[in-house]
Amino acid sequence: MRQNKAVIGSAVGFIGVMIIILLIAKPSALIFGIQRAGLYAAIALPMALVLGIVHIVNLAHGEMMMIAAYLTYSICVAFGLDPLVAMVPTAVIMFFVGMLLFRFTIRYALKAPELNQLILTFGLAMVLSQGINLLATSQPRKLSVDYVTSSATIGNVSFGTYDFIFLAVAVIFLTGLMLFLKKTRLGKAAMAVGQNPVGAQFVGINVISTYTIIFAIASAMLGIMGAFFITKMSIFPTVGGAYTMKSFCLVAMAGIGNLPMVLLSSLVLGISESAVQSIPGGTGWSPLVFFGLIIAVILFRSYAKTAGVK
Amino acid sequence: MKGRLLFACALLLIIAAPALIMASGAADSEADTIKFGGVWPLGDITGEQGSKAAQLAIDEINANGGLLGRTVELVIIDSEFSPEKGASAIERLANIDKVDFFVGGMASGVHLGQIPIMKKYQKVTMWTGAASHLAEAAVGPDQDWYFHLHPWDYNQGASYVTGWNAIAEKYDEISIDRWFLAYEEGPFGSSSFEATKMLFSDLEVDGEAFQTAAAGGGDYSAVIERAKKYNPDVFIWAGYDADALPLMEQSKTLNFSPALYVGAPPGWPADFGNSPLAENVTLYGMWAPAINAVSDVSKRFSDGYVAKYGALPATYFAPLGYTAIMILAEAVEAAGTVEKDAVIAALEAIKYESPLGEIISFEPSNVISHQGIKNQKILQWQNGRQEVIWPFEFATAEPVYPFTPWGER
Amino acid sequence: MKKTLNRTFLIIGVLLLAAPLFMGPYAQSVARSVLMYLMLAISWNMLVSSGQLSFGIAGFFGLGGYASTLAIVYLGMPPILSLVFAFILVGAAAWLLGLVALRLRGMYFAISTLALAEIFRVIIHNWHGFTGGPNGKLLPKLIFDGASVPTYLLMAVLAAGTIAFSMWFRRSKFHFAVTSIRDNEIAAMSTGINIYKTLLMVFAVTSAVQGLVGASFANMYGFVTPESSFNMNYTLLPLAMTLLGGLYTTWGPVLGAVLLGIVGEYLKLYIPYGHLIVYGIIIVLVILFMPNGIVGLSGKLLNGFEARKKGEVQL
Repeated sequence: MRQNKAVIGSAVGFIGVMIIILLIAKPSALIFGIQRAGLYAAIALPMALVLGIVHIVNLAHGEMMMIAAYLTYSICVAFGLDPLVAMVPTAVIMFFVGMLLFRFTIRYALKAPELNQLILTFGLAMVLSQGINLLATSQPRKLSVDYVTSSATIGNVSFGTYDFIFLAVAVIFLTGLMLFLKKTRLGKAAMAVGQNPVGAQFVGINVISTYTIIFAIASAMLGIMGAFFITKMSIFPTVGGAYTMKSFCLVAMAGIGNLPMVLLSSLVLGISESAVQSIPGGTGWSPLVFFGLIIAVILFRSYAKTAGVK
Repeated sequence: MKGRLLFACALLLIIAAPALIMASGAADSEADTIKFGGVWPLGDITGEQGSKAAQLAIDEINANGGLLGRTVELVIIDSEFSPEKGASAIERLANIDKVDFFVGGMASGVHLGQIPIMKKYQKVTMWTGAASHLAEAAVGPDQDWYFHLHPWDYNQGASYVTGWNAIAEKYDEISIDRWFLAYEEGPFGSSSFEATKMLFSDLEVDGEAFQTAAAGGGDYSAVIERAKKYNPDVFIWAGYDADALPLMEQSKTLNFSPALYVGAPPGWPADFGNSPLAENVTLYGMWAPAINAVSDVSKRFSDGYVAKYGALPATYFAPLGYTAIMILAEAVEAAGTVEKDAVIAALEAIKYESPLGEIISFEPSNVISHQGIKNQKILQWQNGRQEVIWPFEFATAEPVYPFTPWGER
Repeated sequence: MKKTLNRTFLIIGVLLLAAPLFMGPYAQSVARSVLMYLMLAISWNMLVSSGQLSFGIAGFFGLGGYASTLAIVYLGMPPILSLVFAFILVGAAAWLLGLVALRLRGMYFAISTLALAEIFRVIIHNWHGFTGGPNGKLLPKLIFDGASVPTYLLMAVLAAGTIAFSMWFRRSKFHFAVTSIRDNEIAAMSTGINIYKTLLMVFAVTSAVQGLVGASFANMYGFVTPESSFNMNYTLLPLAMTLLGGLYTTWGPVLGAVLLGIVGEYLKLYIPYGHLIVYGIIIVLVILFMPNGIVGLSGKLLNGFEARKKGEVQL
């Protein structure tokens, strides 16, 4: 626990220092970085939930968000709805899609070696993205809505205001999940199953249904994110892959099972990436910062832990 | 344990043997068919439509009684965007399907893996993709069998110089002195930037990379902010179709509206023309349905494509794929044989009126001796359609200038 | 009995490896890429047998390709020597990185290797002057001037070597050490095995093999680019192949690579548009219905058969 505090402390410290530097040197980079962090965190949180409780690495994570975005797109085109309205049916449908996927595939791989779940979800990801490719071609699609381009100007810095919505979504997701896990019966059961599936079974918790519900909730969250995603980004069949990888990295950086750290890690990465990109010629190097930071944090935590043990 | 091993081996043999036997046994083809072998990434819209348009050309030839009285056939293999799959596909077309010609192509990264195999067989090749000068270097000089339709990266750059100078000369109000290039950091974008810097060296050029949405990026705020500060006459972005709308939206958000807003992606997203953001965006391309108005060949191709597949082609790889087949067919007709040297001689003399508008003939480029198209066109989105504004002989509309500021839309 | 089986086994293996030699360049080209994936899968499987899950195959693959290409381009090294050079260089790099990364376990190690692979790619992508940047680099000529038979023979020899190495490894004291790490690290420690050193050795050697495969890829196709050399498929497909064939065995990865490699090649001939969906479905179905891979399933069947014959159950 002490080690955890040290990590959180250094993350907060790091963010603080970055904020001060950027406020002085490049305030716009700070704003863009925070917005980017919101997007990262909102997509990574469902993965953190699944990995933390069901203990599977879902390589179809990004693809499920992609499916949700296509779902939103079709609903909007068919009924002339706004994506943020179409979000509701999308989330509901994704809840059941997640439930079915879990019931009919992933569930059977739970008892197999851990890696099977990884490859199973890799296969699912392939089926999902190639299926959409066949149905909708690889040509990107995007819904244009006016409010996305709303902006504000403070001093001589102008920036988009809509993009803060991703940060808001991330915070709502996080608060909702924390409340759910700490306060509700189902949430507490899920925590128990996550910590000790065998033990939970002994005290009468149905492990499989708990897993199913958690996976379905994560899918519904991805459904919500899919709707937000298409307001801002183009969608195409392979759009999800990069977000699977980024989410996976973020969750590992945060520490498996540690939801609040996902948000902090996203802030660290988003702001650092944005800072590097604000330097002319820096874009090419920004992935180096992303992955370098991830390795650094993981190593730091591991050493802090061994030091703590001694 | 031992039994398990034996079983595994037996299973391996059972799986592998028939497949390998099938691979080695030549497919018996009718001797009087003329065969084209095409390799495209079929999962991508460029390859999908390129291959379908090539099939359309084959169908048209057969409907008109074939070639030299023989039927024609197209064997299509997916390259899956992978060099090793693309290379195996060429081996298969050469050895199993025993095709007469290689056609197709998209993506330099795949083509680089195929070039050594093609050099081994030296069949007459009509390639529709791969713009990288590195691919041209890999083909090397004195390869008379290699015909390249798509302009190389430096050809495209040079054609923009010609085009913009011509436009600036014709329309006094258009100024093109200050350039800013936002380019995706992959090979496509960065070589565009290098070429622009070199070719426009007498003008002011600056640029900045961004991470394309096609590779998990999609945040353009840093690059737009720099461009805005630079205040260019011409702003060009060299990225992919997935970048188009988010980039326009973020430009609007940050209120960046240069006098010329140019996009240079290889394709555009679905329904881009319907977006209010698209109006007056200038673009580079080789073909647009608007060319139907100035070219009968284009109209015939486009109508045929719609009749067969039910939608207008969305990328210029469709007319390129069609052209690859048709131009070879015309050369075979002229040569009166499929024999290599005669076909090459016929191709060297050919003047083929293509659906892309121009009349294609083959000339040397920097390294190879048979380069087809060297020019891109400059087009503009007007009322939801791509209109050609340069070359002037194919122009379907006058350029709208300057780009309407976001506030006035 | 054991000798006969071993011999049968050897004969079948040699026959299979030799078969494409008589089947023309297309079969050799497909078989070559199958062998490539096979070596990646075997090497990955050796590391995973020690409980360390690597997502960095593509990273070492790409690093090997670049090491060999740059050595040929700048130092004029002969192609075969450049393969050795790539093997040693990647092995050394992995050893150095392993010194730090192998302190990590499980998912954390996996993510670190994934991140390392990305870091290699970014550095090579941005180092324009030396590596050719995003456009990549051409080799002046292919290995054996691109002749199909010798190139295939080279791959067959390398693959046979990798298989033999994996089989030797499974019988060596290292294997005992590594599996005990996988099963129980503390127990392994108490047996007096230096876990860290053993892991480091395995990591360096398996990464070197992956670098070697990357170097042969560059020499077979004559170029490297950051996009194709560090493609995530080189990480994910070997994983899928190993699991389909059967984890923790030498023959699992072999079977998986042959099966998926050949199925992939044939599917696309019959379903030109959309064959990758079927490919994905095959992966899903095999994982669901053969959780222990093909070798596991066949082992079970055979064991059942033998057990019935002997009237006893053994698993």
